[in-house]
Amino acid sequence: MAQMWITMGPQHPMTHGLWTLRVKVDGETVVDTEPELGYIHRGVEKICESRDFTQIVPYCDRLCYASAMTWAHSYCYAVEDLLEVDVPERAEYVRLIAVEMQRIASHLMWLGAYTPDVGNLTVFVWCLRDREMFLDLMQELGGSRMHYNFPRPGGIKRDIPPGFANRARAKIALFLERMKEYEMLLDESTIFLVRTQGVGYAKAEEMVNAGVTGPNVRAAGVNYDVRWAHPYSVYDEVDWTSSVEKPSSVKGADCYDRYRVRMTEMEESCRMIIDALDKIPGGSDTTYQSGDEKIIAKVPSRAPEGATGHHHFEDSRGESMFYLQGGGEGRGKYPYRVSIRSPMFITIPFVAETMIGYKIADIPAIMGSFDPCIGETDR
Amino acid sequence: MGMAITSAQNKAAVDAAVAAVMDRFGGTGIEATSVEHSTGKHASFLRIISPPRQWLGLAKFLRFDLGVNHCSMVTGTHFPDGAEERGWEVAYHFMRMPVKNQASGACVEHDAATLTGLEIPLEVEIFIPLAKGDSPVVDSIQSIWVGADWNEKETWDLVGIEFKGHKDMMRVLNPHDSPLGFHPLQKQHKLRYHDYNEMYDDAQGFERKPTDSGLVK
Repeated sequence: MAQMWITMGPQHPMTHGLWTLRVKVDGETVVDTEPELGYIHRGVEKICESRDFTQIVPYCDRLCYASAMTWAHSYCYAVEDLLEVDVPERAEYVRLIAVEMQRIASHLMWLGAYTPDVGNLTVFVWCLRDREMFLDLMQELGGSRMHYNFPRPGGIKRDIPPGFANRARAKIALFLERMKEYEMLLDESTIFLVRTQGVGYAKAEEMVNAGVTGPNVRAAGVNYDVRWAHPYSVYDEVDWTSSVEKPSSVKGADCYDRYRVRMTEMEESCRMIIDALDKIPGGSDTTYQSGDEKIIAKVPSRAPEGATGHHHFEDSRGESMFYLQGGGEGRGKYPYRVSIRSPMFITIPFVAETMIGYKIADIPAIMGSFDPCIGETDR
Repeated sequence: MGMAITSAQNKAAVDAAVAAVMDRFGGTGIEATSVEHSTGKHASFLRIISPPRQWLGLAKFLRFDLGVNHCSMVTGTHFPDGAEERGWEVAYHFMRMPVKNQASGACVEHDAATLTGLEIPLEVEIFIPLAKGDSPVVDSIQSIWVGADWNEKETWDLVGIEFKGHKDMMRVLNPHDSPLGFHPLQKQHKLRYHDYNEMYDDAQGFERKPTDSGLVK
């Protein structure tokens, strides 16, 4: 049969952002793919070279609007490695709470964007409703609804406000109830199961070799998580287990497995937040003033000559990383080089190859299940 | 309590890796050291500084003998004011992950405390200094780690380091019709805001001259 190229994107519901997937089809079967990225390349790495270390935080927020908190933290851990700063323990707990809330909000945004792709519009509205609970909590921390500018090199901008812990506990209890509703709606929906089960198989070893990380790998039956493998923050002190899904085939994880692993990960994040609120040093009903040494450490404004810093971080979409070079000839307070590892930049070419052999109607189901985010991809 | 790799496991893995690399590549100009992160848990990682001609052999050794199976990031830096032998530097970050394909309906529940030897997660940082010049070249590792493919494309696109042996090199973030030789992260390119050249390079305005008044916002 004659083959032809179809261009999906840059404006297409499948893309979840601005990028193009060129697909070569033979009838309805995908035989070749070519991703094209770079539509919203802002040059964040170059801009950061003329910002001091605190001014860079808002730029990191804007790498991914669905997961701003995790990106800002990812940067802060790297800059603390560069500037040789130890973060106070209370600040680490607040950071953990903030990051895990963002992980829940990001997974809800993913679920809300993914289910309309595979024919269920109801969950979209429910997800955005519940995401709003967590956005409200994070707004109490950072002051704005999506780009919080919350962490600082050395600690956090503000402590948790009075009453935050009670509101967080109540909202999480409600959310855990609603998770059951999602599961009843999705796991028993024939349409959802038919669209997600048995498509988009990916094996663990191939994914890791191709640079795919995070929930997408854990869906293939492998318990690998930066949070325990390269421990940072206080993840070894709070109660959680890394969520891992048993793949339904030897061919690896399908779209349904990747949906399941994110659902269990949200539950684990809830468990972590509740436990962290119980264990936080100083108590969750105390509020320290901004700038108190219990929530932020003294940080030098200039990096030592020739110093480098990097930190691997478990983002909602996989392993993110910042690599910083400080100081240098007359750089003053600015870093010499900032480079950003985006998990999705590496994942999208892999997913494009994964689609080969499936039908063209499976493309939105496969692409969406990997949780693409183009803001961080293009930087 | 969440599980975590202990610092004893971490140190043992890094020390074993340093010994293995130095045993194999001692005297070839490759330097492997154990470096501590200066924040958080102060975990150690393996840092290797390698001359470019040794890079491919070292990469294969890491992949097939040390089990380093994940290429996290490839990136480059331009040092126009640097020493003659370090006008450019390519930095690689790798990780070793205890990952195996699983049978249907099976999964591996690692207990971090029981991991030993090559199963312990390891973090590797590699620096390859390249001599000054207009065309820095380093060997491509696309055939060893698939994940390095797009990382190398990005590094060529933004920094201008060429990867010898890379198939299908192309622009990924810059427009496809960018002029040949245009790589924006090289240091001769300054940030500009329309015609206000110093707006970003001197954001605080300390080096502003009186003649600039009115031009700089």
